[in-house]
Amino acid sequence: MPRPSLSLALLCLTLGAGAAEEPTVDFNREVRPILSDRCYGCHGPDGDKGRKAGLRLDEFAGATKKLKSGDTAIVPGNLAQSALIARINATDADEIMPPPELHRPLTAAEKDILTRWVKQGAKYAPHWAFVSPQAHPLPKVADAAWPKDPLDAFIAAKAAQVGLRPAAPADRVTLLRRVSLALTGLPPTTAEVDAFLADPSPDAYEKRVDALLASPRFGEHLAVSWLDLSRYADTWGYTGDKEMFAWPWRDWVLQAFNENKPYDQFLTEQLAGDLLPNPTQAQRVATAYNRLHRMTFEGGSIAEEFRQDGINDRVSTASYGFMGLTMECARCHDHKYDPISQKDFFSMAALFGDQNENGLLSYHGEVPPPFMRLFRSDAERAKEQQLKAAVVAAEQAFAALPAPTVAHLGPTAAPAPTVHLPLDSLTKTGADNAIADGKPAKFERRSSPEDLQLFPGVKGQGVKFDGDAGFILPDFRQLGRFEPFTFSAFIRFGEKNARATILHSTGFYTGDGDATGVELLYADGKLRWSMIHLWPNSAASIVTSAELPLNAWHRLTATYDGSSKAEGLRLYLDGRAIATTVVRDTLNAKPRDNALEIGSRSRDAGFRNGSLDEVQLWHQALTAVEVASLHGLDPKTLPAADQQAHLRARADAAHQAAHQKLQQARRELAAHQESAPAFFTMEHSALAPKAYVLTRGEYDKPDLTKPCAPGVPTSIFPWDEKQPRNRLGLARWLTDPRNPLTARVAVNRLWAHLFGNGLVASSENFGLQGDQPSHPEMLDTLAVDFVRSGWNTKALLRRMALSATFRQSSTPAAGAREKDPSNQWLARGPVLRLTAEMVRDQALLASGKLVEKVGGASVQESAHRRSVYTYRKRTAPPDNMLIFDAGSREVCQPKRLNTNTPLQALVLLNNPGFVESANQIALRVSQEATDPKAQITLAFRHICTRSPRPAELSALTELYAQQKAQGPPVAPDAPATPEPKPDPKAKGKRVVAPVKPASLSSDPALAALTLVCSTILASDAAVTSR
Amino acid sequence: MSHTLPSYDGLMHHTRRHFLGASALGLGALALRGILGEAHAAPLPRGTHFPAKAKRVIYLFQAGGPSQFETLDAKPLLRERNQQPLPDSVRQGQRLTGMSGYQATLPLAGAFTNFKKYGKSGVEYSDLLAHTGEVADDLCVIRSMHTEAINHDPAITFFCSGNQVAGRPSMGAWASYGLGSMNENLPAFIVMVSQDATKDQPLYSRLWGSGFLPSEHQGVQFKAGKEPVLYLTNPEGVSPHARRGMLDTLGKLNADQRATELDPEVDARLAQAEMAYRMQTSVPEVADLSKESPATLAMYGESVTTPGSFAANCLQARRLIEKGVRFVQLFHQGWDQHGGLPGGITRQCKQTDQASAALIKDLKQRGLLEDTLVIWGGEFGRTAYSQGKITKDNYGRDHHPRCFSLWMAGGGIKGGQAYGQTDEFGYNIVKDPVHVHDLHATMQHLLGVDHERQTFKFQGRYYRLTDIAGTVVKGVIA
Repeated sequence: MPRPSLSLALLCLTLGAGAAEEPTVDFNREVRPILSDRCYGCHGPDGDKGRKAGLRLDEFAGATKKLKSGDTAIVPGNLAQSALIARINATDADEIMPPPELHRPLTAAEKDILTRWVKQGAKYAPHWAFVSPQAHPLPKVADAAWPKDPLDAFIAAKAAQVGLRPAAPADRVTLLRRVSLALTGLPPTTAEVDAFLADPSPDAYEKRVDALLASPRFGEHLAVSWLDLSRYADTWGYTGDKEMFAWPWRDWVLQAFNENKPYDQFLTEQLAGDLLPNPTQAQRVATAYNRLHRMTFEGGSIAEEFRQDGINDRVSTASYGFMGLTMECARCHDHKYDPISQKDFFSMAALFGDQNENGLLSYHGEVPPPFMRLFRSDAERAKEQQLKAAVVAAEQAFAALPAPTVAHLGPTAAPAPTVHLPLDSLTKTGADNAIADGKPAKFERRSSPEDLQLFPGVKGQGVKFDGDAGFILPDFRQLGRFEPFTFSAFIRFGEKNARATILHSTGFYTGDGDATGVELLYADGKLRWSMIHLWPNSAASIVTSAELPLNAWHRLTATYDGSSKAEGLRLYLDGRAIATTVVRDTLNAKPRDNALEIGSRSRDAGFRNGSLDEVQLWHQALTAVEVASLHGLDPKTLPAADQQAHLRARADAAHQAAHQKLQQARRELAAHQESAPAFFTMEHSALAPKAYVLTRGEYDKPDLTKPCAPGVPTSIFPWDEKQPRNRLGLARWLTDPRNPLTARVAVNRLWAHLFGNGLVASSENFGLQGDQPSHPEMLDTLAVDFVRSGWNTKALLRRMALSATFRQSSTPAAGAREKDPSNQWLARGPVLRLTAEMVRDQALLASGKLVEKVGGASVQESAHRRSVYTYRKRTAPPDNMLIFDAGSREVCQPKRLNTNTPLQALVLLNNPGFVESANQIALRVSQEATDPKAQITLAFRHICTRSPRPAELSALTELYAQQKAQGPPVAPDAPATPEPKPDPKAKGKRVVAPVKPASLSSDPALAALTLVCSTILASDAAVTSR
Repeated sequence: MSHTLPSYDGLMHHTRRHFLGASALGLGALALRGILGEAHAAPLPRGTHFPAKAKRVIYLFQAGGPSQFETLDAKPLLRERNQQPLPDSVRQGQRLTGMSGYQATLPLAGAFTNFKKYGKSGVEYSDLLAHTGEVADDLCVIRSMHTEAINHDPAITFFCSGNQVAGRPSMGAWASYGLGSMNENLPAFIVMVSQDATKDQPLYSRLWGSGFLPSEHQGVQFKAGKEPVLYLTNPEGVSPHARRGMLDTLGKLNADQRATELDPEVDARLAQAEMAYRMQTSVPEVADLSKESPATLAMYGESVTTPGSFAANCLQARRLIEKGVRFVQLFHQGWDQHGGLPGGITRQCKQTDQASAALIKDLKQRGLLEDTLVIWGGEFGRTAYSQGKITKDNYGRDHHPRCFSLWMAGGGIKGGQAYGQTDEFGYNIVKDPVHVHDLHATMQHLLGVDHERQTFKFQGRYYRLTDIAGTVVKGVIA
């Protein structure tokens, strides 16, 4: 292609401009999409990576300033001096912009827009979606009688602009099917159709709409796209994919829609229900929204890596869902297009990372803390309060008892231990227990005698550990939160280990995600002594204030009094208590009951170079006095409080009784709490790790010079300093009526729900790279109305459903499809392919076998419940739903594509569930009518709502006759594919088992009718809403 | 010139109905041309940017992370220093998994197997891969692969989709989207999972998912047995004749609907149903291995007669690509030998070695190897040191993302060479590193695709298989 010279191009432009009045360029609609797509990647708002040539084109000042090179990109009104114009018209590969390697050259039309824009003064305007919406006056409409709602005026005016006129109203049956599917996900029954047709009142349609909005089916249908957006499923996702108990949250969403919870509350309770004053159980359940992201327990995973991934997921999910922004881009670098810095991202991360949590799921799949107890009734909740009060009363009664006198300490010797390992020698299998009839210690499974060294101890020999090998006491269990316990031994630290497990009952180690039980850990010179359900949220734990001495034998004693509290944990060195501080005091569930292990832990650092001698264990808590005696100290030298405690515990019947009562009250409270399932929630904690900018978004590269206080991208909307800097403040920021995004995003999604496409087609991206709204004034007006209505979702949907726009026929008038193939101007009614859920639910409803029960645990498809309740295993989603474009729910899915594939035809014709429905529909209509034509007509109506047209009826009748004439159905030539056997280790690994393959009836008439029904189910009339 | 492929937003908006209406499987190319109204005649097949050296891909994915030390990367030094600790100077403080990261010592583990030079090229293979060695002159072993993830799930997701995060399209989905199928009666992307493998680490449908690409591009799983593709079989009692009658009726219903509603999407829907019908014939045909000659069967080894075995799947893969399937991916699990490696890897190689080599020979004898790219490998490698205790005849190896090996053959690959090099401990790469993105870029290059240009706009960003990285590895290309 010959290269036109630049001067020639400019000459043409100048001449062209002089020739006729040129249209004014709209920056937002025409210019910014070009700049954003082709230029902002290198000349955009992100300042972290050395903007190319020092030029930024996203703002006037940057675009018009003189650059180091001496050029100026844009000289408003002056094409010849604007380097931008020269560069976009350059032909030299080194000169031309955008550079060829972007592979997205400017078209002639785009160049023309930029040129006219510069010529007209290069006026910038703020991005439309970042300016608060304003209501707009209604445009004039040619046919003033047409609009039924103000929104219709916007539609008609826009359609007129592109030369389209509204279509005629849809016929009543079509409209009833359309609105029923749109609002409840199910078509009307034949009875409902007949009643509607028989209702001559002018508000017959309005009444139907109100009935649909009031139906519990409404929430079951509306919830689905919110479940997609919130990545709700029934399993955790990653490797192993254990069951995730989350359906109470799904029911909360259903109920929120059915109760018409105002959208601002819907948003606030999910983001920050826990931070509301005196939150209700339901408000806390709502916060599970934040925690539906995947979690892994894969061996060797690094907790911080996955904690950061989880927080990232929360930020991006909330950004897509509530803000229509792609925040996640800013995890690794400033956003390339939108005014969101990396710092903004991590300020949001600080909001969503405000929990005391572990990044990993436990290997055993316990509910990851923080969690609440999900009581089934108010009575159960009240009982919890009573039991809590009883504990407080018992504590007070215990504390109020008069102090015993210290004069007579009585016996002070420690009782005999349950286990005593002298460790003077090793046997083939472990070490002997000096207690008569006591079971010996065994080598931990990977260890053998040569791994452990005898080492001169305090009494005879001791054992020196290598860090990998150790002992296990298979029968020493009952190390629960209410069971007292004492460990005592001579100990010698041979090095200042970065981390060393001395003693634990926690099984193996996957980060801290799985530590559950007692744990004595030596790290960086200090000892941490803990009773843990799941670290770090549900644990009682203390740590020594000072480092312990190296390379010398000392007697270490660790006691736990079974109180479930950090104050019940004590550490003694050489018979005397050592100073400790509390690390955690939030133990609220029981540890797993594993055997006690000494010196090692699978996949963890053991007690390398450390030694033990004379290990003793008790199933009781020794008193300070007994610990002193054990070491040969005179107990009289102990503080009076310790002596009194000893007397209380050992000699004072009143105290013993009061203590027993207290423990009993604690056990009863715990038992009641644990009778209710644990349910994960969001729970703000002062112990949450601080947030920093992560360099390149990498979990292990926090930039300690860039701490991030909780915050939001204020370049989009300013923060109100009166609001708390937490998730509740975020919710207030989002629901501020002036926030430019929240209402628009919500309105757009509801619009798409009824009309298929959003007014902003990129419903998940309102940023600079997103689409322009097709009807900006209407979107803004509806957004303003929505907020004014009190964020009333049903009222908005009602308006849309009652609008003349929605009620139009979807059949295009002549030429209308050519003018508007995708129907974005809405001069005809919407056509939607039914979703995976709707296709299946419709077949079930037609078969008469749909089980309508609202809420509850997720089920297999064979339960014939609505598809919103189908068990969703993330790594193996239900095949027929995937084939119909439902996602895996692994991550936030803002919207579904809508495809046609052969596999869909196979599902409709062969999936056992659909074949079973066809069977049932055939059975049903053969009972409802006797004449085949009548049967077929009924079947068609049950599935497609309308009656078959003559051509359809004759085609189906012909099929029926043909098939019936074939005689009984052919015998299967091979046994049917066997049903997959349920996995015996099914717990938490449930697969979605297909329903039993259906076979045709041996009655030729019924078999033929089944094939007819199956054909109808696969037809366009069945899978679309028109 | 480049061919514009539709974007997500485009699909959602302007061309949605038309395009998706007709684009599934083979119709895609035709439909697309029509819709986009390409004025210029296309000198290259759809989706390609330059002439392709490979028309199709067979990926033999070895899930779990096969040890390079017992297969493709001989390290005599490890034998010499068996049980001695890994020097800190080699490890350089790099991260380990939580499984061996706390081990008191990291004892080096020499391979229990011997290595031999094979073919004219003299590239070394372990005795466990003696059959593979026979085709050494056709293979290019890459010993300098490296990846970013250290755990299975993120690593295999990364390998199969170019990103550790779920939700991105898989390699095969990209190939299907970009290039389409060459047979309109079969899916463009087919996946098979070995039934004879030890299921140590699970697989997930996301590994062959379509991510944000239209669902028609997701891998279709072929299974052994009567119903190779889900819901392919007519319900009991429905004869092919009856099905034909149903489809004819469906055609009439939809024709009437089309005439009434004036909606071309109805046609598309009918076309899909017809294609489903044809698949009902074409799939069982291609899945029927009974007509293969005894000589061919013998080449793949005894287990080829066991439906769903790796060997049977290799043979099946050949049959599928012969019929024009674009991308076939096999998964064989069981390579995750944290302990008991000698026994475990011997079993794994026994299951896969002969059939993998047979596939190469079979493709070659049919003239298919020259334009079929075959890749064999896993998601990461394993450590030079033993995880857990090492004894005379037993040890294990932990995950190692910093270097590992795989091989490629056919479709434009320069065979008979080993590319890249690791240090004598097999811990770090010393020459010609190949990142997963580089491998993807190379694979796409061989398919005639510029990995930087095959993009899909989604949520305002242009996505591609190689994300923002990847360089074509020229050294492996013939």
